[in-house]
Amino acid sequence: MTLVFGTFLLSMMVLVAIAIVREHNLFVAVMLSAIFSLLMATNLFLLDAADVALTEAAIGAGISTVLALGALALTAEAEQRHRPKYRWLSIAIMVLALVALLYSTQDNPRIGDPEAPVHQHVAPWYLEQTPILIDIPNVVTAVLGSFRGYDTFGEVLVILTAGIGVLFLLSAGRNDLLPNPRRIPDNTIRLRQHTIPHVIGKLLAPFIILFGLYVQFHGEYGPGGGFQAGALIAAGVILYGLVEGERPSLALVPPNLLYGLSLGGVLLYGGVGIASMLLGGNFLDYSVLMTDPIAGQHWGLLLIELGVGMTVTGVLLSIYHAFAARDPH
Amino acid sequence: MFVTAAIAILVTMALVLVRALLGPTVYDRILAANMFGTKTVILMALIAFLADRPDFLDLALTYALINFIGVLAVLEFFQHRVQSHSDTADKSGESR
Repeated sequence: MTLVFGTFLLSMMVLVAIAIVREHNLFVAVMLSAIFSLLMATNLFLLDAADVALTEAAIGAGISTVLALGALALTAEAEQRHRPKYRWLSIAIMVLALVALLYSTQDNPRIGDPEAPVHQHVAPWYLEQTPILIDIPNVVTAVLGSFRGYDTFGEVLVILTAGIGVLFLLSAGRNDLLPNPRRIPDNTIRLRQHTIPHVIGKLLAPFIILFGLYVQFHGEYGPGGGFQAGALIAAGVILYGLVEGERPSLALVPPNLLYGLSLGGVLLYGGVGIASMLLGGNFLDYSVLMTDPIAGQHWGLLLIELGVGMTVTGVLLSIYHAFAARDPH
Repeated sequence: MFVTAAIAILVTMALVLVRALLGPTVYDRILAANMFGTKTVILMALIAFLADRPDFLDLALTYALINFIGVLAVLEFFQHRVQSHSDTADKSGESR
């Protein structure tokens, strides 16, 4: 059944991908990429990768669409048409790459094959040791936060770097990275004048943030964690910004708080690592944080997930405001 | 029964996709993207029950919430566009 569903969804994805490439109207391309992202998330869900599907849902289908529309508001609607010079050459290279990829898939193990190399390497060790060493039901969180905590720290730094890069690019020619909320003109007639979206949006925003907090602190037991929670909380605040306008939204979460969240998250994550070093363990070895190693792991995971959530919320909201507060003229 | 329902949803998704790919107007595609999100939520709920993992309903909930934000962003985008178009029209009218 999984195979039938997967094949069907993947074929639809190929169709959508081709349509996105061929589309010249950028708005239509954004809509199609939202559909692409939904299909991708369903596929990940089918493959039992609930944590990744949750991230794809929150970031790919939700925030990416909002950011792409924000970028589109600053530029023209249609892509410029141009005929590339070496068209047939590039098509030939692509066909060659396709043939090579198809040929190499012959050696791939079947989906869910227990003899596949990926299930022979470290995965059995993780599955075996998680209940003993960390004692949480969601092995993904254990691997991400504890066994491979160093990699996750790198990812959080990458997110921070990306956020800094986008802010510098979009604030070129200005003195501040994000404008002071008091200096934004409040003449834009946002969705506030339409009663139904306004009321429903305002009602939903706190529940989305609450759900984000649930995903944040429930990550050790179910799908979720800092990345997904950060994206959901950012989505909740973005919803508030969409229905209320840019100025109240930026006044609610001012730029200094956003910078504090982005940097504080990374500092909290790194601080946990340093603390575990000072207590005599390795960098990000949470067992030494408490007298009971398992309790230490729980506290370590809670703190680093909080750090991840803070950074992701701060960076995503900063990027959103950098687009939304920019004057297109 | 869940399987039949899931297949019915997949067929609906394919039909929606046809509308999204063919258009012809932008509004067809907005509606298609919105409807596709709704179908995804239902499909996820069905798969969660098929695979006997009702705890995965968390995900379907996320989709339902996120989809709404996307639609509002589209509305806001069009409102902004209409407004800025009328602004520039006013300005060019004044300069003449």
